Amino acid sequence: MAEATQTADTTSPTKIMAAGYSRTVGRVAKYTLIRTVALLATVVVGIYLTILVANMGGHVDEIRRGQIRERVAIGVSMNPDMRQLPTAERTKMINEMVRVEEQRLGLDQPFIIRSFRFLTDALTLNLGRAQHISSDSGSRTVRLIILERLSPTLLLMATSNLLLFGLSVFFALYLSRKYGSLMDRLVIALSPLSSAPAWFYGIFLLLLFAAVLGWLPFGGMVKAPPPASRVEYGVSVLRHLTLPVLAWLISGIFSGVYGWRTFFLIFSSEDYVEMAKAKGLSSREIERSYILRPTLPNIITSFALLLIGLWQGAIILETVFNWPGLGRLLYSAIQLYDTPVIVGSTVLYAYLLALTVFLLDFIYALVDPRVRVGS
Amino acid sequence: MAQDTLLRINDLKLYFRTASGVVQAVDDVHFELAHDEAVVVIGESGCGKSSLAKAVLRLLPRNVHTYSGQVFLNGTDVMKLSDEAFRRQVRWVNMSLVPQAAMNALNPVMRVGDQVAEPMMVHYDVNRERALEQARRMFEHVGVPLDFMQRYAFELSGGMRQRVAIAMSLVTAPALIILDEPTSALDVLTQANIMNMLKRIKQEMETSFILITHDIATSSELADKVAVMYAGQIVEVGDAARFFTEPLHPYSRKLMASVPRLRGDAEPEFITGQPPSLVGLPPGCRFASRCPARFDRCDENPPVVADDGREVRCWLYDHGDLSTPIQNETEMEQVQTE
Repeated sequence: MAEATQTADTTSPTKIMAAGYSRTVGRVAKYTLIRTVALLATVVVGIYLTILVANMGGHVDEIRRGQIRERVAIGVSMNPDMRQLPTAERTKMINEMVRVEEQRLGLDQPFIIRSFRFLTDALTLNLGRAQHISSDSGSRTVRLIILERLSPTLLLMATSNLLLFGLSVFFALYLSRKYGSLMDRLVIALSPLSSAPAWFYGIFLLLLFAAVLGWLPFGGMVKAPPPASRVEYGVSVLRHLTLPVLAWLISGIFSGVYGWRTFFLIFSSEDYVEMAKAKGLSSREIERSYILRPTLPNIITSFALLLIGLWQGAIILETVFNWPGLGRLLYSAIQLYDTPVIVGSTVLYAYLLALTVFLLDFIYALVDPRVRVGS
Repeated sequence: MAQDTLLRINDLKLYFRTASGVVQAVDDVHFELAHDEAVVVIGESGCGKSSLAKAVLRLLPRNVHTYSGQVFLNGTDVMKLSDEAFRRQVRWVNMSLVPQAAMNALNPVMRVGDQVAEPMMVHYDVNRERALEQARRMFEHVGVPLDFMQRYAFELSGGMRQRVAIAMSLVTAPALIILDEPTSALDVLTQANIMNMLKRIKQEMETSFILITHDIATSSELADKVAVMYAGQIVEVGDAARFFTEPLHPYSRKLMASVPRLRGDAEPEFITGQPPSLVGLPPGCRFASRCPARFDRCDENPPVVADDGREVRCWLYDHGDLSTPIQNETEMEQVQTE
């Protein structure tokens, strides 16, 4: 054949395949190494910036020194034994107590040196103790605080986002088949509704279903006191979950469907889709093998990013619904300059993001033959 | 040439809605095709050739305005079938397609062997092994090395992709294959290879072809019959032998005169002017504005004159005898002096 791209047939095919295989392994290994180093560097830089920002470049130390001095001074003046001492001695004592306390908290060292200790602690997931916030069970350990808030956040965010993602893709596929229909135009017309955030709809839903109709609770995750039986507990959580999830769906569904519909429309006008139609494939087969399959990398990407996005929680939505999640934790941590909590939650997110990005590269190569790892 | 009719198209119309108006891409087309016969549809870009292929296969875009007429396949009017019945009974069972740009006609994430085998599994309910076996035979038939079955489309050259597309069209042995400019995206050498292969396939398999092309020179080798399309209409249909030596319609004559000859000193001519836009066409002959033989009656829609197995849509043959066109030099002069 004039246009055939013939491979050299001087060596045996098995030899060629073995050589190709070892080349592939070498390429993937090299790529993995470079990629890991690059991602770790990104994480280190990101965390360090977070430490600098959360400490306001060291300014938070000043605030804390002031707080310590105030606390010690009040403590001394309240103490009847010390109140009797002469002023000079009292001042000396206060200064000594402040020095000890600052030394205990490490404030005697310059911030720039401590910032690197914070960095190594954060990177080794040695998250330390919170300064002001404590968990509901009374612990000051950042790890415990975050773990306690993680499951409510995951429950809320996973339920809403998975529902939103599934419904969006499903309806978008349906609409891309009914291009220009009444339903299609309705969704496009309603898509500006998504410009309002979920908490905005949350307030309306609370007004309607909690205040006026009284069908569903105002907020929280479970009624107080929590029901003893597991079934009742589950039902109560479901009732509390309904409104925030609904608010999230209303705010996201229209733009989600609109976006995916346009995406599928573009890909369903590819020549190979028309060819599949000409071949007499059923519309289900066309959808599966000729629309969803070639677009799988895109779908996986947006799904993976959605999954790690769950981690951060939704600050205002959790506040509106009084949901005991990570979003609200982060909010109060920022308000209180509780840097260990801020850094702890950021470092976990950074690791998750890096891991996801790393895995996505390999998943692409698995699902799309056009993509080769490291080439 | 077999005499029984495989395909008969009557008054086929396909109009599209666009922002500037209704495009009459296929307008009142009718022609017939016998078993084991190859018809070449010739025409300029934008004359509706590809739309004709789409109309026959019911591959309609979203902006269809009118889609009507009759398409008889082995005596049944397939236009009356429901979409599902059309899919099961016509697509790839009786009619297959070789697309214009095989570059994008193959699914990028499916091995080409599986894509060729797919119609067998869909329409004949055979298992994957049997379907792949049939696909393997087709790969041999079109001259693609068998280990290419494991490859993806992006790993093939343009010529190889086109061969794969042809293998795909042959796999269910349909009675009719529509080739929509199968070689226009390829270099000259590959074009010649593919055309030779098509000629061989035509001899080996009893299949009818509709070959849509603007390349008159290469198509002449394959054609039993020629249909000339101009501005959405078929202006002339006839057997290839007589068409290539003595075309009837003024447009066909100009078209043939524009083909460079291997022997003889005749310089290729060109046709002055542009084909009309297919939006808002006025009544009358659509070629009239560019026609050297134009006269008064050309302002009205020309009749289709049939004689001795040839058909032409032109006032010059209104008297029913295709051997002698009306001599209308007086009228022609009138037009020129105006």
